[in-house]
Amino acid sequence: MARRTSIRGPLDYGKSPWLILFGFVTFIVLYAPIAQLIVFSFNDSKRNIVWRGFTTKYYAKAWNDASLVEAFTNSITIAVMCTVIATIIGTATALWLWRFRFPAKAAVEGIMALPIVIPEICMGVAVLVLYSRVGHWMRGFESGPIYWWNELFSIWPLNLGAITAAHIAFSFPFVAIVVRARLIGFNRELEEASKDLGASEWQTFWNVVLPFMMPGVVAGALLSFTLSLDDFVITFFTAGPETNTFPVKVYSLVRRGVSPDINAASTVLIVITLVATIIAMRMQAPSKSEG
Amino acid sequence: MTYIPKFHASRRSVLKGSGAAFIGLTMMPRFALSQEEKKLNFYNWDTYIGETTLADFNEASGIEVKMDLYADNAELFAKLKEGNPGYDVIIPTNDYVERMMAAGMLDKLDKSKIPNMSNIADAFKDASFDPGRNYSVPYMWGTLGIGYRKSKVKDASSWKAVLAGDENAGRISLLGDGESVIGVALQYLGHSFNSVVPAEMKAAEELLIAGKKDVKVYADDNGQDLLASGEVDLAMEWNGDIIQVMSEDDDLSYSVPKEGSLLWQDCVCIPKGAPHPDNAHAFINYLLDADAGVKIADTIQYATANAAAKAKMDEAYTGNPGIFPPDDVIAKCEASLYSEEKTKLRNESWTRIQAA
Amino acid sequence: MESWKQNKVVFWVTALPGVVWLLLFFLIPLALIWGMSVGEKTSIIDIEITGTLDNYVRSFQAVYLKIIWKSIWISIVSTAVCLAIAYPIAFGICFSPARWRPFLLLLVILPFWINLLIRTYALIAVFRTRGTLNFTLEWLWNLAFLDRLVGPFQPLELLYNNGAVIVGMVYVFMPFMVLPLYATIERLDRSYLEASLDLGASQWRTFFSVTVPLTMPGIVSGIILVFIPMLGMFLVPDLLGGTNAIMIGNVITDQFKAANDWPFGAALSFLLMYVTFAALALRAFVSARIKGAVGV
Repeated sequence: MARRTSIRGPLDYGKSPWLILFGFVTFIVLYAPIAQLIVFSFNDSKRNIVWRGFTTKYYAKAWNDASLVEAFTNSITIAVMCTVIATIIGTATALWLWRFRFPAKAAVEGIMALPIVIPEICMGVAVLVLYSRVGHWMRGFESGPIYWWNELFSIWPLNLGAITAAHIAFSFPFVAIVVRARLIGFNRELEEASKDLGASEWQTFWNVVLPFMMPGVVAGALLSFTLSLDDFVITFFTAGPETNTFPVKVYSLVRRGVSPDINAASTVLIVITLVATIIAMRMQAPSKSEG
Repeated sequence: MTYIPKFHASRRSVLKGSGAAFIGLTMMPRFALSQEEKKLNFYNWDTYIGETTLADFNEASGIEVKMDLYADNAELFAKLKEGNPGYDVIIPTNDYVERMMAAGMLDKLDKSKIPNMSNIADAFKDASFDPGRNYSVPYMWGTLGIGYRKSKVKDASSWKAVLAGDENAGRISLLGDGESVIGVALQYLGHSFNSVVPAEMKAAEELLIAGKKDVKVYADDNGQDLLASGEVDLAMEWNGDIIQVMSEDDDLSYSVPKEGSLLWQDCVCIPKGAPHPDNAHAFINYLLDADAGVKIADTIQYATANAAAKAKMDEAYTGNPGIFPPDDVIAKCEASLYSEEKTKLRNESWTRIQAA
Repeated sequence: MESWKQNKVVFWVTALPGVVWLLLFFLIPLALIWGMSVGEKTSIIDIEITGTLDNYVRSFQAVYLKIIWKSIWISIVSTAVCLAIAYPIAFGICFSPARWRPFLLLLVILPFWINLLIRTYALIAVFRTRGTLNFTLEWLWNLAFLDRLVGPFQPLELLYNNGAVIVGMVYVFMPFMVLPLYATIERLDRSYLEASLDLGASQWRTFFSVTVPLTMPGIVSGIILVFIPMLGMFLVPDLLGGTNAIMIGNVITDQFKAANDWPFGAALSFLLMYVTFAALALRAFVSARIKGAVGV
């Protein structure tokens, strides 16, 4: 990505001491509870209210809790599948609404905002009702293609498909909004210039439009990953005994007080994310200097 | 299409007991097979089973139990209402047993498969909400009461301490469950827990609104944590939750107020559409076993309805008035009765109380 | 903007995925729920669609309007605080060295990959009467000998009030504000800022007359992404609020769970959506006027 990097003087806000101080304080506030959580994951107390000594036994406990590990794996799998598909659909939708003029566009835009507007619990129940009706009908088949379809979709990770589909439905409009906010500043002459120079529609998209909207796409992808990974309400209504996710598991566990093994599992999640990101950034670095 | 027959073959081999390579294969086992696979999906409250019970049962029967947790009865009901997503055994509380029976959401138990039903204490062999015990087996029972910090609270023998507790203003937590809170307020005013008489309901609502200024929070089943962490000095809570924190803090105590309280009973049931009903019966039978019951009661410290297990427990458990209240206390307690009208009225009233 | 007839292939390729997905996994289930909102409970589990408006009429009782109003003002205050914090953060990230940007962005998001509930409980552990913050303050208090001069430290009662709900909301929804802001500020053409400064405008003037209008799309989408979900939030008021904490999200949740009154829950949900749409329409109207005034 071509970026203007050499800005100095009055526009060098990145070096403003006030901004740095503000950012610093914000990050401390943001991370204070996280630090607390990490510290308490080593606390030798079941109830986790006061410090009772250092232990790592809750890490072992979390690791040996098969259902916790399974829920954890399910959550990550769903979040990844959801992010990929929701980002693609959301970006396409943003392009569509940004580029074209068509009848009843305002209405379509309103409908696209619905998943953001609707209370989560209402969508959860709506999806529950839909799935149970469809499921009821589909289970009536004892052979034939729908039977095979049922069988196929009971294998991991396809059995997570129902949850993932619902996650995509509520997260892609978020992606679309973010990408579209980015696209508003795009100079369409660049696109025309590209086509005048003989590039196809696809080449123009890939080489001109996509690089421009990339920060929006990345922000959208992060949003949808966050939404999916943290969703409890909608997942609760779509999950069955074989398809529990981490938030659903956690929700049932912490209502009666957070136990240290949950803190331990969360700490592991933070570490995994950090390590994965640092690796990704390292891998990305050389290709950046080439481009 | 080519891999589907192969998949079918592997499914059979899984069912022969060769392992759980495919986690998700249990969704539709009831169509093709008469023999049940060795699996069971158990939907339970958190911290509500013995530490080794599931492993012990697996060893005894070869059935692998998978346990999911729910936080309250309403959640359980909402999740099963549109159809059972695959659970075999659930543990609803008495009024929800009644509600789910009325909605046709429970399977009738085959008592010939549960010989250990003879271990049930006499008082629980029959139940008003399930005459003849055709749908439910009693598991644990208990009371609602006041958990309090002895050094800070003079008198917790009446609901007055939490409902009109000027002395401890701002140091009180009530349950977030409107039905129970309003029921207890009714009892304090000398009415029935289950009253739907408009004038009585209105008086209870006014009492709770007037008492709001002294209440710090309506806690969702974590009053014991608020109490243990010193956030409040008085908490309306379930007895077992308070007894658990009492073991870590000598300054805490539990009382069942003299006006009477709620007496509840959690029951083991099989929801309609359970994929493994045979295993479910075997599991219920195992829960009623004397030794298994001892291990469960030992862990969760609630009053067991399993007389054979109680007989084997030590004095510290059976003699604890917090767990087994004296008969005169029980005599004043009431069970919550199910009625759609009551649920609706209580819920509306609770919304008004919170918004006031 | 081009007419859809000019390039039908691209039009359909970009339109269909979103439309089809939304229809199958959102609009159809939503229609089922909408049906319930004009239906009646005929038994514990059965709901018959009768076309009644009773559920909506019931929603207009004073108590529910009062709760809706409260949800709106809590959400407005929380959104404003969120924007006031997120804007400088997003701004700072955009103006930091390029190689730092992904890392800083990640630093903002990372806390949000921890489960909402765990995070909120961690927040409670920090802020409660005998929590980390009060212990730290007490330690500082004693360190400064204030315990001998003024008297023993009185712990702050920070939880279980409306302030705690607002802090919790801001904490939960921060990334939803930072990300769209980042996406727009990042593409801000800095030559406008240079021009403004060159022409003698102060930094503040440049910020309010140039930067803010140019990043308006990001601000608006951030506000939408934060304000609307806040309206329907129920966990935060549940966990952090005091006895008055009830918001419309809690009432709706109650209808679908404890009260077992799905038709009424559905009606309340749709009422909330109608309110939001009114707000969005107002937003479109206002932004059209701002655009006209600023000439962007």
